[in-house]
Amino acid sequence: MAGRVIVITSGKGGVGKTTTSANIGTALAKAGYKVVLIDTDLGLRNLDLLLGLENRIVYTIVDVIEERCKLRQALVKDKKNPNLSLLAAAQTRDKSAVNAEQLKEICDTLKEENDFVLIDCPAGIEQGFQNAVAGATEAIVVTTPEMSAIRDADRIIGLLEAKEEIKSYKLLLNRVRPSLIKSNDMMSVDDVVEILSCPLIGIIPEDTGIITSTNKGEPIVNDEDALAGKAYRNVAQRILGEEVPFLDLDEPKGFMAKIKNAFAKLKAKV
Amino acid sequence: MGLLSDIYNTVAKFFRPQEEQGDASKSVATNRLKLVLMQDRTNLTPKILEQMRGELIDLLSRYVELDKELLELNFEQEGNQVALMLSIPVIRAKDEEEIEAALKAEAEKLEQKAENMEEALPEGENSDICEEDSSDEQDMVCESSGSDNTAMSTPEGMTSNNNQEESQKEIQFEEQGS
Repeated sequence: MAGRVIVITSGKGGVGKTTTSANIGTALAKAGYKVVLIDTDLGLRNLDLLLGLENRIVYTIVDVIEERCKLRQALVKDKKNPNLSLLAAAQTRDKSAVNAEQLKEICDTLKEENDFVLIDCPAGIEQGFQNAVAGATEAIVVTTPEMSAIRDADRIIGLLEAKEEIKSYKLLLNRVRPSLIKSNDMMSVDDVVEILSCPLIGIIPEDTGIITSTNKGEPIVNDEDALAGKAYRNVAQRILGEEVPFLDLDEPKGFMAKIKNAFAKLKAKV
Repeated sequence: MGLLSDIYNTVAKFFRPQEEQGDASKSVATNRLKLVLMQDRTNLTPKILEQMRGELIDLLSRYVELDKELLELNFEQEGNQVALMLSIPVIRAKDEEEIEAALKAEAEKLEQKAENMEEALPEGENSDICEEDSSDEQDMVCESSGSDNTAMSTPEGMTSNNNQEESQKEIQFEEQGS
C-alpha cells in the first residue's frame, strides 16, 4: 500500500495551516483511513496542542532522524481515533536539525503503512518549507482573503509549480467572512480564485468555535454543528475524490430575510 | 431637523441593498494586489513597465493614431501562462502616405541618433533629447518629431472627417510564466 503524501503550506504565518492539518487529518481518520500527521515546524511546534496530545509526546522527528528511537515509537496515537497518529516536531531544535532527504525518507516509510501522510509546513519559503515539501506529491495552499496572505500564497504556488514531485496543488480559503464580502469590504472567493488561478478545495468560514476548539485541544471537525467543522469535513471528502458542493455562506439578503436572520440569531442565543 | 434626517438615513440604510453600502475597500485591495502580483511574477519594476509602455506607444503611433491616455497594459494569468494584454483605443488608422512619412521620420531620427553617438558630443536640442532613455523623454521625442512632420501635423482636421468611433484592438503577446 502506498498512501498519499500531502503538504499543507501557506507562505504567510497565522492563516491556519496547523488548524487545517489537524482538522483534515481528523476528518480523514474519522472516515476510516489511516492517517499520520507530521509537524515539520521545528522549534515552534503546535500541532500537538491542537490535537490535545501535548502531554503524550516522548520522541520527536529529530529523535527519529538522529536514531534515538524507531519511527514507530515516535508516532503518538490520537486519544479518540486509533487511525490517527502524530509525529511531533522537536521544540528545542531549529530547522537545520533536519534536511529534505531525511524528511523524504520518513514520508516514504510512513506512506507504506498509511493511507495519508499530512505534512504541516512551517511559515516561510526557506529551509523549513523545502524540507516539508520534499516528500510530498500533493499540496494544499492555505490562504485567507487578505492581500498579504494572497501574495504569499502566490509565491508558494510559484515555488510548488517548479517542483516536479508535486503533482497537484489546491487552494483552501480560510477565515472567510460572508458579511464582509457582502459589504464589499473583503475579497470574495471568486476574486481570490481568479487572482491566484488555482483550483479550490475548500472554503472555511471564520468561526469563533475554532478558538474554543483550540482551547480544548479538540479539532472542530468533531463538532457536528459547527459550520467550520462541516466545511473541513467537506474538504476531506473532496480529497477522497467525492464531489461535494461548496457551502453556501451567503447570508440571506432583503428586508424579510434580514428579519428572519435576526430571529434566527436570537433563537441561537436562547 | 438633524434628528429627522438621522432617522431617515437609518431607515433608508436598512432598506438599501447591502451591496451599495460601505466603500468598496475590496476593489482597492484587488487592484493593488493584481498590480503587485504582476510585478512579483514578472520581475518587472514599475519603471520598466512605464518604459515598455512608452516604447510601444512610439512603435504603434507610426501606424495608427491612438489614445495614449487610455492605453492599458496588463498582465493576465491564463493557466500556467502569463499573457501581456495590451488594450489600445484606436482613434483612426493612418493611410499609407502617413505611415511612410512616419517611418521615414523614424529612420532619420535613428540616423541622427547614430551620428550623435559617433560624435559623442551633445549638440543642439535634438541630441539632448535623443540621449535620454527614460520613457517620458521618449514620449516627448515622439510628439515633437511628429509636429515637425506631416505625419501627425493635422490629426484634428483628419479625425473630424473620419468617424470618431474608437475601435478597441487587443494585441496579445505570449510569454512563458515565471
